[in-house]
Order: sequence, then structure tokens, then C-alpha cells
Amino acid sequence: MSTELLVSRQNRDGGWSYGRGTSRTEPTVYAILALLAAGEAESSARGLAWIRALQLPDGGWPPQPGFDESTWVTSLVALLPRERLGGAAHERAIAWILGLQGVETSRSYRMRQWLLGAGVPPEHEFPGWPWFPGTAAWVGPTSLAILALDKEHARKPSEDLRRRIVDGRNFLLRRACVEGGWNHGSVRALGYESSPYPETTGMALAAMRGVRTRPVALSIAVAQRFLGECRSADACNWLRIGLLAQGELAPGYCRPSGIAVRTLTEISLDLLAAETQNGKGSLWHA
Amino acid sequence: MARVKSSNQTELTRRDVLVAGGAVAAACLAGCGGQPAPITPSRVSIVKAPAYDQTIYDKVRRLVVEHAGDVRGKNILLKPNLVEFEPESSINTHPMLVHAAFEAFKAQGAATVRIAEGPGHRRNTLDLADAAGYFQTVPGFEDQFVDLNLDETTRVHPERQFSRIKKLYLPNTALGADLLVSMAKMKTHHWVGATLSMKNLFGVVPSGIYGWPKNVLHWAGIDESIADLHFAFPRQMAIVDGIVGMEGNGPIQGTPKHAGVLVAGRDPVAVDATCCRIMKIDPSRVQYLRLGSEQEGRLAEINIQQIGETIRSVATPFELIPQFRELRLENS
Repeated sequence: MSTELLVSRQNRDGGWSYGRGTSRTEPTVYAILALLAAGEAESSARGLAWIRALQLPDGGWPPQPGFDESTWVTSLVALLPRERLGGAAHERAIAWILGLQGVETSRSYRMRQWLLGAGVPPEHEFPGWPWFPGTAAWVGPTSLAILALDKEHARKPSEDLRRRIVDGRNFLLRRACVEGGWNHGSVRALGYESSPYPETTGMALAAMRGVRTRPVALSIAVAQRFLGECRSADACNWLRIGLLAQGELAPGYCRPSGIAVRTLTEISLDLLAAETQNGKGSLWHA
Repeated sequence: MARVKSSNQTELTRRDVLVAGGAVAAACLAGCGGQPAPITPSRVSIVKAPAYDQTIYDKVRRLVVEHAGDVRGKNILLKPNLVEFEPESSINTHPMLVHAAFEAFKAQGAATVRIAEGPGHRRNTLDLADAAGYFQTVPGFEDQFVDLNLDETTRVHPERQFSRIKKLYLPNTALGADLLVSMAKMKTHHWVGATLSMKNLFGVVPSGIYGWPKNVLHWAGIDESIADLHFAFPRQMAIVDGIVGMEGNGPIQGTPKHAGVLVAGRDPVAVDATCCRIMKIDPSRVQYLRLGSEQEGRLAEINIQQIGETIRSVATPFELIPQFRELRLENS
């Protein structure tokens, strides 16, 4: 049912919008991933053609046509199967991701802070990824970048990939909430501990696949609690994906019927999570 | 010595030119700067509203009639402040207030009234609105609502720019509105002192492009970005929910503060300056208000025409974190 719905909502240019309107990169990537996982070929191929045409000269992708700067959505595109996207396009995407980090870990920023007499706070120790170049790193884009690099590392291991994945995971560990789980990336504000969010906890758990430290164990417990009381399809989708990545989703889990699936992205991720649960596709298998 | 020839071939030295130029500049300064343009006072209403009850509907209707002007056939966009999934806290603009404004603009003959927001931290905007009580309070809410984070966008060049942001894309739904009504919550803010109708416009910046949070605005300068957004939307009205606001470590982790007021007007700078005085904050020490005020003295109480209650009758000090104690209004 979701597959047919996604196909019916494809724009004539081959992309997908967030709801109605022009095609955008993020919903198009999620729709392609979901359709490929479901074995659909024709619609996803048209989507891939739309994505390929949008790549910028620097190797990254903009969030929408007409925007001339590459952003966080490049990590999403790099999650598409290399053989479908095209080897050269995929390699340039990976290179773009490897070349980006939050500005707070850049040499120039560190030098400025040093001159001002400020130390490096623990959460600024490891480089993560920003939503937008020239800004700080956050949990969401860092999780997506790790997923993309980890998938590439499984296909073709390299030291550059390994180092950024390890640094990215250390970034996430530094940004984990005291009780476990993750929010957007602010652990505390003016001394007050911040609370985790369901959706970012799921995303980060997916990025921490294969890592079992105490913060991850705490976060799995938090994710399971969130999943039991979840009211949002987006949150539920990412919690399922995160717990699947950790091998901790209860067998036969079904999304509660009372949760409204409201957006195309939610439909895609729901389908992707379901197919991953069935062993047919995922965000991490090469 | 370098020489410049004038049209009648009389030879002038560089010194002659500089002296003449200085005299012209001095005359211009005397003429242009000596007589500052008079300030036209902006009208701002203060209405007592002790609780979120049915009386709010009539109060908001009167504020709309008083300030919105003729809205017949116009497209109105209500922009509440939706931040977190905590309906019991004082983080979000109360849905009843937004519904009251929705009904009021409809009753005044607006062609369309839509509600729109783009939260800075949470992606699932509709779920957030649901948890904040909007689906329950506003009939057919989903049909009236636009997620500004995911809306179609256009690149804009604000009339005046203060921040370092290079490319500002804004949602078409907000840009196309005949009247953008900023429905902020009266809260303290741990980075800029107070968050009111002007800071509320951070929610129009699309996270689909800039991310969650909209960190581009932070790096470009928060106060400066607030001022940029103010000038990007020339057709505004502000209605601030000060019935229960937030004090201390706002805008998320503060504590509820009952102020029992609604504050409204067409000039967001004047509305926010009035809110600050109600919160016992000196508006002239809030940087984004200074940037947005354009004219010297525009923030002064004497240059804002208060309607309804006096500031003195409703003022109540909002607790400020130590970093912002210098914002406290003197003699309060």
C-alpha cells in the first residue's frame, strides 16, 4: 500500500516533495530508498535520475533545485546504492562528506578560542557534521554522515573513512544526554541537563551500530521507553531503525495503528523500517 | 603638489578641493543631522487576560479590530511559537489564543487565515502541534496549517541587513501573506534577553534548508538575524501571549510566569519594547530592539502610544539569569 502511495505521489520530474509542490532532495532520497527496499524499479529509477542531475560541482547536493550550496542532504544521497547512483557521483559525495566538519573543531576557530583564553569543552573535542557548511556540528547530520561513511567503509575500507566514523561516534558519545539518548545536540544549557528526543535518539543509535558502551546501553533503554509511548510516526520510524541497528527491536514489532503517518518522508521511512525488519533492505548494508 | 583643473581652467590645489569638500559636508551635516525626523508613535494595546478562558475570544477580536485594519479579502498568516512537546508547560503559544485570532480574522472578512510554524529543534511539526493541543482546539487544524520548515522557498534580500548571513531563503507562504501575525510567547531568552514577536520570526526560517537547529542564524549573529527578519517582512502585526509566560532560563528550561496580559500592535518593535517594560526589562538594552528601531528614541516609552492598561498596572518582574541582570529596568 505504501509503495503504491509513494509511486502515486511522485512528481512528473521524477522527484518527490515534502507534501505537495516541487521536488526536494530529502524526501526524494527517502522515497527511493524505500522503493528499492520494496523491490520497485521503475519509479525509483526516475527518482535516481532526478537526484543525479542535481549534484553540484563540489560533489555535494543542495536541498532543492536552484540552491547553489551543498548541505547535509549530501549524506542522504550517499546512502543510495552506489551502483544505482553511479560510481563517480557517489565517490564525489563521499569526498564532500569527508571534507566537512563542524566549524567549532576547525583550526581557525580553535586558534581564535585559544587567543581568547577559552579552553576546548568536551563536546567540541571530536569533529562531527553540520547541517550547513560554516556552522557547528549537530546530532542529526552527524548521524546521517556516519551512516553514509559506514556503508561505504563496509564496501571499501579506508583509513580516512574509519577515522571520521570513529571521531563522529565519539562526537555522538559526547553529546549523549546524561539519562541516555540524544536530542538535537545540546547536552546542557546554562548548567541544566537537557532531555533526549525520540527521533534523534533513533538516528544516533543507527549511527552507533556495532558500538556497545554504557551511554549506548542507556540510550537503547531510553529508545525502548520512547517507542512504548510514541505519538509521532517520524519518531517511531527512527526508533525502529535505531533499535534494529542495535539488534534490540522486539521481534514482530508493529507500529501502533493510532499513530498518524502524515508526510511523504514518514511514509518512506515507515516502509524502509518495515523492509529492514523483514531483512530486505536497510540504511547500513553495502 | 598635485593639481586638479576645474572647468574654467582655474588651477586648484588638492588643499583647495579638500577644504571646499569639507565645507560642503559640514553644511550638509548641519542641515541633515540637526533636525531629526519626528517620531510617529506606534500604537500598542495592553489587555488584561488573567486566564486561558472563553473571554480571550472577545479580547483578541477587539485587538484585531483595533490594529489589523481592513483585512477583507486579505491573506492572513498566524505564526505561533511552537517549541516542544510539553502541553502543560509555558513553552508554546497557547492554542486557544491562536484559535481566537483565527476566528477574529475570519469574522473580519479575511480571504484566508492560515497557521504556520517551523520549529527550531523538532522535525515533526504536526506531531508537536498535536501534542501542544492545536488539533484539539482548532477545528480542521491540519487543513489550515503550513510547516514552514518544509515550505517552498524564495531567496530574499532584506530591506536592511545586519547579520553575516549570505543567502537568506524564506518560505513562500510567509512571504506571500498580506499580513504576518507574530503570535509569540512572553519569555526570557538565555542568549538575547527576551524572546517576543521579533525573535518569534526565527520560526519562519526553513529548517529543510538550514537544519534543526537553524544554526546559520546563530553564526550570523542572533540579534542581527532577528533584525534582518524584521525588515524582511514589512507587513506585520504582533499579538504576544503574556497570560502565562516564562522567566529564568528561557526559552525552554525556564519556569512559568503568570503576567496575565495580551500585548498587540502593528509595530513589532514597539510591541516588544512594551512587553520588555512589562517584564521589567529595559528595551534599550536589548540589542535586536536597538537594531530594529531605526530611529533614535523610538524605543522610548514616550514615543509609544499605549492603549488599554498602563504598563505600570500590569508590570511584573521576570526573573533574569545572571548574564542578563544588567537588562533590568532601572528603578524597578
